[in-house]
Amino acid sequence: MANMYEPLIWVSPPGSAQQFEPALAEKWEVSEDALNWTFHLRKGVKFHDGGSLTAQAVKESFERTMNLKKGASFILSPIKAIHAVDEYTVRFELKSAAPFDRIAASAYAAWIISPASVGQPGEWFDGGQDAGSGPYMIESYKPDEEIIFKKFDAYWKGWDGDHFDRIVVKIVKEATVQEQMLDAGTADLGNRVPIESSRTFNEKECCERLSGPSFMNYAIHLNTAIPPFDNKALRQAVSYAIDYEAMLDIGLGGLGRVGVGPVPFGQFGHDENLHQYKQDPAKAKELMAQAGFKDGIKEPVIFTYAAENAVEKAIAPLLKENLAEIGINVEIRPMIWSAQWDMVKSGPEKAQHMAALLWWPTFSDPYETLYSLWHVEEKPAWNFAYYKNPEFDKLITKAYATPEAAAAQALYSKAQQILVADAPSVFLFDVERPVYKRKELQGIVINPAYPRVAFWYGMHK
Amino acid sequence: MALFIIKRIGWLAFVLLGLCVITFTLSRVVPGDPAAVYLGSRAKPEQLEAVRLKLGLDKPVPLQFAFYLRDLLHGDLGSSLRTHRPVLKGIRDHLPASLELMFVAITIAVLIGVPLGVIAAKRENTVSDHLSRLFAVACTSLPSFWLAMLFQIVFFRWLGLFPIGGRLDTVVGLTNPIEHLTGFYLFDSLATGNWTALRDSAWHLCLPAVTLASYSTGLIARMTRSTMIEVLREDYITTARAVGVSEKEILFLQGLRNALGPTMTTAGLCFAFMLTGTFFIELIFFWPGLGTYITNAILLNDYPVIMGVTLLMALFYVSVNLVVDILIALVDPRVRLK
Repeated sequence: MANMYEPLIWVSPPGSAQQFEPALAEKWEVSEDALNWTFHLRKGVKFHDGGSLTAQAVKESFERTMNLKKGASFILSPIKAIHAVDEYTVRFELKSAAPFDRIAASAYAAWIISPASVGQPGEWFDGGQDAGSGPYMIESYKPDEEIIFKKFDAYWKGWDGDHFDRIVVKIVKEATVQEQMLDAGTADLGNRVPIESSRTFNEKECCERLSGPSFMNYAIHLNTAIPPFDNKALRQAVSYAIDYEAMLDIGLGGLGRVGVGPVPFGQFGHDENLHQYKQDPAKAKELMAQAGFKDGIKEPVIFTYAAENAVEKAIAPLLKENLAEIGINVEIRPMIWSAQWDMVKSGPEKAQHMAALLWWPTFSDPYETLYSLWHVEEKPAWNFAYYKNPEFDKLITKAYATPEAAAAQALYSKAQQILVADAPSVFLFDVERPVYKRKELQGIVINPAYPRVAFWYGMHK
Repeated sequence: MALFIIKRIGWLAFVLLGLCVITFTLSRVVPGDPAAVYLGSRAKPEQLEAVRLKLGLDKPVPLQFAFYLRDLLHGDLGSSLRTHRPVLKGIRDHLPASLELMFVAITIAVLIGVPLGVIAAKRENTVSDHLSRLFAVACTSLPSFWLAMLFQIVFFRWLGLFPIGGRLDTVVGLTNPIEHLTGFYLFDSLATGNWTALRDSAWHLCLPAVTLASYSTGLIARMTRSTMIEVLREDYITTARAVGVSEKEILFLQGLRNALGPTMTTAGLCFAFMLTGTFFIELIFFWPGLGTYITNAILLNDYPVIMGVTLLMALFYVSVNLVVDILIALVDPRVRLK
């Protein structure tokens, strides 16, 4: 997507001087009350179908997504109205204060599409059409087989310098096959090799592994609404029972970071100074006794994970072992993802005691993560832990409406301290996303805000 | 004969209906919300509700089944929850790739298996019989996914003789695109005189087709051998020998013709089995066939696709059986008379 379409602005990769960098908008500013966001558009930008970028096009793009009410369009819900001030200026008026810069840089619902395609139904896009302004466009598309992209001649950044004319994406599910193709040079870039090969990938002469943070993280959520995990000391005991380093090694082959709180490393809102649980069986047992489970828990607690997720599958036995050490008997139940989610939603009594969840934000703001996963909900959609804490809710809502970054960060930190102390969830690890490539391929940028994207424009051999 | 065929077709319809009931029930009683699959991983409750209404998931399951049957009779298999594309179109896109692979594989299996069986029968209990037995047992017992990876390592990685997978080289696809007539690359490129693409797609077919053929080759060879041995012991063969019919004629005309019945049934069943046998092979050789299509669907419980493909496979299996039975009835009058 991110090679065909562009948003108004991008979230910069970590280590950049600015939090955002311009894309289709050259400059932007926010009113003092954070309710009005004005974007000044780049002039002379063409869409693949020949249309031009104007304020009207931006307005219609956003309105189309909002009207579709599908997928991730909910992130646009703070928008009250969009005004095309002049041909190249667009102003977003919000219902309530929100960090609209992060919303506008989302990889999900903030792409700008050409005005001519706005009226087309979703099926039109499923058929392999595109209407973006990005550097590449679809040349041919064979479902489950390959997609060929060719460069868009009128791309606004131009084609001076070293770029690829064509990009061929082959759909290869088998990790071993990907590795062989890289070894033989029939592929330049891959996203998956077997985990054993991944560890030693950099020893190869032909190829190398790059990696960077991804904003994806794994957690295990404890059902706080029913016994036994309605007991805070017991939940803390669980957090002290886990061997985090071993989990990271088994789950991701070491490619990641042990989690510090719910917000992944590198994302706005992450706080490195949060209390860090470490494996400490003595302390865990002490807490068990304090919680009134001196002799352990014989009655099995049910742990579910998404069967199609290899990482969760790999860590499940270790979780059982870690908890057995402090006397908790775990019953492991693999379920296909949608079934696991159904079980969570079936009400606190019928839901599992523990569930593994891979999470990534739809836009790079901690509010969505914290709100979705731990905000009080009558009927939980994502609050796997059935967590209820009005003070936590108040803090994150206030933080979201605070446009000033340092002040927002302070509020988010406070909210996360509460969460970590209450221990409704075990924060396992943040995922580092690996990329496997031939050595001669250069110019790869890994941007954690867009974890599933390889930006081709900057690549060359 | 007509009555025989009508009776068999009646059975076919009954089997398919039964299958519909079973797959539909199974795919709907397993937990998991189809609306969640339809919307992707970040759906909101109100969006889920809207999709449930749209897909008719709020209705009781028997009623949903009735709707499904009604659409089915109109030739509508529904749309994939994952890609939102019609299942029928998905099948049309993926089936030719699988069928082409299967046709080539069964041809290889028959061309190697039958002569091997005949030779083994002729030289019963000699070294060549033992060797052919060893080969046949190896063919049937080596798992196809293992064989596939072995071939990739040997023929792609070490020798560099064959491509690792796919149906056509990307560069060939760009310079000599195959006009879409039937979806069978060999046929389409041959019909349009596109020799480069013909050569390239045949080249791509080699490894997956040989892998797929291996099980059937072994089975056909064993089957041919045992029926041939039986036939060669019949009185009429001895008589033929006595009156001086040449050994070649005895083997291939008198012997093989009479031994062909069971071999044909075996080959037919092998062919039908291949449709499911291709799944692993398609995955490893990233062959964009039906196996790839349904594997993706099963992982997500994309039930319209699972239903559609299962029905198609059942229809295929039952029809191949029917055709084989009719062929045997034509060859062997005893079957007809029973």
